[in-house]
Amino acid sequence: MTGAQLEKIFKYLKNQKWRIFGSAKISGEEEQTAEISPYLKAHQPIDLEPMPAGRLQIKELESINELILSDELPIYPFKNLFIPECETLFEYKGNQLTESDRSHKIALFGINLLDLKAFNLYDLVFANDPYYQRRRKNSLVIGYATNLEKDVYGRNYEPDILEHVHFDIFIEGPSMHSAKQGKLNSEKYKIFAGSIKGQRILEHLGYKKYEYIEFNGPLVNKERMNELRNKLTNHHQQKIWDELGKRCIECGKCTIACPTCFCFRIDDEAGLVENTGVRTRCWDSCYYREFSEVSGPSTSSGQDNKPKFLTTTAQRIHFWYYHKFARIPDEFGIQGCVGCLRCHQVCPVDINIKEVLEDVKK
Amino acid sequence: MKNPYLSHPAKIIKIIPQAANIKLFRFKFVREGRYHFAPGQIIELSIPGFGEAPFAPCGAPDKEYFELCIRNVGKLTDRLHAMKVGDTVGIRGPYGNGWPISYNKKHITENKNLLIVVGGLGLVPLRTLILGKDKYLGKNTKVQIFYGARTPADFLFRDEYDAWRKYGIVIDLTIDKECAGWHDCVGLVTTLFDKKRVVNNAQAYLCGPPIMYKFVLEQLKTKHFADKDIYVSLERRMHCGLGVCQHCAVGHLYTCKDGPVFQYEQIKNIEGAI
Repeated sequence: MTGAQLEKIFKYLKNQKWRIFGSAKISGEEEQTAEISPYLKAHQPIDLEPMPAGRLQIKELESINELILSDELPIYPFKNLFIPECETLFEYKGNQLTESDRSHKIALFGINLLDLKAFNLYDLVFANDPYYQRRRKNSLVIGYATNLEKDVYGRNYEPDILEHVHFDIFIEGPSMHSAKQGKLNSEKYKIFAGSIKGQRILEHLGYKKYEYIEFNGPLVNKERMNELRNKLTNHHQQKIWDELGKRCIECGKCTIACPTCFCFRIDDEAGLVENTGVRTRCWDSCYYREFSEVSGPSTSSGQDNKPKFLTTTAQRIHFWYYHKFARIPDEFGIQGCVGCLRCHQVCPVDINIKEVLEDVKK
Repeated sequence: MKNPYLSHPAKIIKIIPQAANIKLFRFKFVREGRYHFAPGQIIELSIPGFGEAPFAPCGAPDKEYFELCIRNVGKLTDRLHAMKVGDTVGIRGPYGNGWPISYNKKHITENKNLLIVVGGLGLVPLRTLILGKDKYLGKNTKVQIFYGARTPADFLFRDEYDAWRKYGIVIDLTIDKECAGWHDCVGLVTTLFDKKRVVNNAQAYLCGPPIMYKFVLEQLKTKHFADKDIYVSLERRMHCGLGVCQHCAVGHLYTCKDGPVFQYEQIKNIEGAI
């Protein structure tokens, strides 16, 4: 496929009323996390740094001129398009609940392979969730990679990686930093279809040279997964978590930046008209103190006085790692981490997941 | 796809004050008939604008109504306590696994007796089992209750104890501190292990404030209870009730989905479970 044909797909989707999201360059004006997370912002004691100019973020795109196809990971993943940071589950009037349906046709254009892996987990976690499933059904996923051998960090992908991620269309070929540059790329893109939906769009546009890939389930490095799971489950090393507990400032940025983190809370918000309001589901973070709070008499004076089960920073950071590397493997047979390293990149105190896992393995 | 977060309206048909700040609410579903739950399971109760919270039903089995015994401690329960007969709440569930009798009959076939050790509100999730003793445990099973409360006025369902005793259930009570007019045991619930004879060949069901478990487990060990014969009902923060939101996770398990009742054997090695 040529760069011009990619543009044709983009325009076709636009005409078909798909809202298109993809990677775009950050100008440097946008405030960090403001777009993705007012909730996180509310938890921040100080003003946030502006978003790093030049990095990529996922944005709604009006034209292909804004789109960047590259192996570089956008600063935040696309999970908020499927489980929004805050969404209305029901609107209520008196005791009457009405299910909210605000799903749109969403096309993700150029999602990298590491982020595509996160779908494998979300599809399992939210298998019975009508809100997620509606959005998933109404979505079109177009994956992208410069090559299918190595990721942006130079690590090898699993063999036949495309058989182990969900997509409708997948594009493999040279990176594109502007549509103009893309146009020069003639016949350089290899196209794969991963669903009938993707196939139909390609055929409709008269493109037949694609390869059809059947989804073959998530691929798991069982040995590595079981090693970590076993260490965390049967060889708890409090020292690791105590040390991390001294460094971690519980800002929760890693949970926002992580493509697999999905903890949430459910709350009611009263509306302006009496007896009306909404029941919401919003992202939560296991680093926040109220995460495990229960009712009951206060245990001490001061702000942090409600009884809770995760009482120390060390316990909370352990909870995060345990979830990804022990509980998710136990529950779903896959690992709760796609290796994107965003948690390290956003961490203000430089906690490096690779180093932590090495310590756990020791 | 069915929406698992949708609650069903239930009307308050009776309110019985139990102790300071604690009321027993009787509900009836507006649309459905009988309410099926196993003793020890939980439901999510919601009041629009005030949120949702998990509670353990505690009424007699096989009735056209169900009961919840609730302490006024927060926004939702404060609103509930202000409600009157005829007012409506939302209910979804039941969720999780209750006391082991509810999903296997092992307890009866093994012919074990039952020691219930509870503190404070911990008696609530066991009341259904007690009221339905013959149904759930069989006529020959001996049941003994160790129950600790702060003061005599804090004992829940105390006007029912005579009826329970007539039913063959042994109830041993203790209060935290000496108090005028109280001639029974004084001290934490663990003191009952020294003062009373524990029913033989028994399983133990525990429910109470988190701090209670460690000390009761120590006592049970001195009485040679095997870990597989001890069951604990765990308290955790819950939001979804479906094993998704992660708030109630304990190790690889979810309190809402896999519990709230766990065999001690199953959780004893989990960091932070007890």
